[in-house]
Amino acid sequence: MQLPVLNDAPAAKGGCSASSCGTTDNQMDSLPDSIREKVQNHPCYSEDAHHYFARMHVAVAPACNIQCHYCNRKYDCANESRPGVVSELLTPDQAVKKTMAVAANIPQMTVLGIAGPGDPLANPERTFETFRRLSEEAPDIKLCVSTNGLALPDAVEELSKHNIDHVTITINTVDPEIGAKIYPWIFWKNRRIKGVKGAKILIEQQQKGLEMLIAKGILVKVNSVMIPGVNDQHLAEVSKVVKAKGAFLHNVMPLIAEAEHGTFYGVMGQRGPTPDELQDLQDSCSGDMNMMRHCRQCRADAVGMLGEDRGDEFTLDKIEDMEIDYQAAMEKRKVIHQAIQEEMDSKRLEKATKAAQHKAEPKLTTRPVLMAVATSGQGVINVHFGHAKEFLIYEASPDGVRFISHRKADQYCGGDSTCGDGESTLQVTIRALAGCEAVLCSKVGYEPWEMLETAGIMPNGEHAMEPIEEAVMAVYKEMAAAGKLDEKPEAVRASA
Amino acid sequence: MAVKIVESCVNCFACEPVCPSNAIYEAKPHFLVDSKKCTECEGAFADYQCASICPIEGAILNALGEQINPPGSLTGIPPERMAEAMAELQSH
Ligand code: SF4
Ligand code: SF4
Ligand code: SF4
Repeated sequence: MQLPVLNDAPAAKGGCSASSCGTTDNQMDSLPDSIREKVQNHPCYSEDAHHYFARMHVAVAPACNIQCHYCNRKYDCANESRPGVVSELLTPDQAVKKTMAVAANIPQMTVLGIAGPGDPLANPERTFETFRRLSEEAPDIKLCVSTNGLALPDAVEELSKHNIDHVTITINTVDPEIGAKIYPWIFWKNRRIKGVKGAKILIEQQQKGLEMLIAKGILVKVNSVMIPGVNDQHLAEVSKVVKAKGAFLHNVMPLIAEAEHGTFYGVMGQRGPTPDELQDLQDSCSGDMNMMRHCRQCRADAVGMLGEDRGDEFTLDKIEDMEIDYQAAMEKRKVIHQAIQEEMDSKRLEKATKAAQHKAEPKLTTRPVLMAVATSGQGVINVHFGHAKEFLIYEASPDGVRFISHRKADQYCGGDSTCGDGESTLQVTIRALAGCEAVLCSKVGYEPWEMLETAGIMPNGEHAMEPIEEAVMAVYKEMAAAGKLDEKPEAVRASA
Repeated sequence: MAVKIVESCVNCFACEPVCPSNAIYEAKPHFLVDSKKCTECEGAFADYQCASICPIEGAILNALGEQINPPGSLTGIPPERMAEAMAELQSH
């Protein structure tokens, strides 16, 4: 089955006919119904669903069959986790127990992923036993898996037998010469194969696996790590190839390389992309599809809503003592999921109505503006500036409001005595907001207020508890009315 | 004759399933090779299987006590560069 190339969907700019016009983040309209149904309530794929539903990962797969230059194998798979993180390795039995314990206690948890700490498909027995048992014992949980692709063709048959509807393949290139600069070696047919030869095999396996999954009707998402000077120019090509083959989504993540991670790129001084470079590439790769921008590169044992980690509540000794009646939990989960669904549906409707209104109003001709938002979910502005662990970045323009990305803040206020060198961390946070012209939060303290203003970022606490898109649009209109959007912003962008 | 796993092993499990002689086992603080079982892959494969998948330079020694994957051979990081970077980090 050949799925339409997503970039072929009509562009959102100007003559948009899709109902989502105005709030351009709900671009799933361009997907076929069967796929939209599968992804629209998935916390990792749907921008609004990730405010309501949660996912978790279990770390059952330690081994890996390749080496990536951005990975240090002392830590978790860097393809699917933040670099430099070590997860608690579980046996399949422990993983099943943990999953059911979390599902019973966090009913919003609907998706279980295996993403590491190595490559799940390089550990087929551990990975498949976990999937097999969960498909039987917890049929209301969706399963997903990520892989570097080397062992994928051999795994497709088995994957298609379980409750698996999403597979993520990390594809950084379709060119073996570039591949050799990213993958120093692979383990293949009982030998270590280095350089271009190894990269060529890996690329062939990835592409073959992608085609086989699509043929089986399994959803495929492709992740790419953007490595400036190595594959940044090439990723638009990757995007074209994988979408033509039927991947429903191509997600570009930034390289994170630090010398202390001991990775090749870290030690050799390879830099990661700036937020601007990343956004430009994401724009050119995703066309009008942007639902994956909220991906935060979770860790391999993450638990909870995107951006939060409640893993500490479910450590091995804690789940050991939990008695889980999964049948009862499933009943309860069903009721809660229904309620969430209703709330989401009504919010979606509201959004569409607002968007239609927006369209009917005379169109502004002002330039687009980036704004940062502090939220802990439910789609509203509800976090104090100093308590925000991360900010959601939105772009407001005459076309509407669209979600762009997440930026991590270094929390400068721990609410207690940890404010010692607060000022410098506050500066770090402000630097993380470079390029934004306003920050919307429930409250802002006096000191950060002044510093934000000096940095050219307008603090705004007037929209607490209001829906994000509406508030961003309201602020945008205020800025337009005040004539702030006629000229270019002052050059406050950090070079990052 | 047997290979040996030493303390730089990061317990990644990669070598255990690929050993044709079932000589590798999980242990604390790191994986170990049962020297009675290890055949050095003689007759089964041209290369030591464990050392062909192991991602960590220096973690596996041959019967002569030499590192099968010496520094720089897997990561591509020249050992001097690595030493420099580590020295720099420590000076902070
Ligand atoms: S696939 Fe993942 S675990 Fe394997 S080397 Fe690459 S980043 Fe590391
Ligand atoms: S050399 Fe071969 S037989 Fe010996 S431990 Fe390694 S894989 Fe097993
Ligand atoms: S492959 Fe290497 S690092 Fe991994 S467990 Fe075996 S010896 Fe240790």
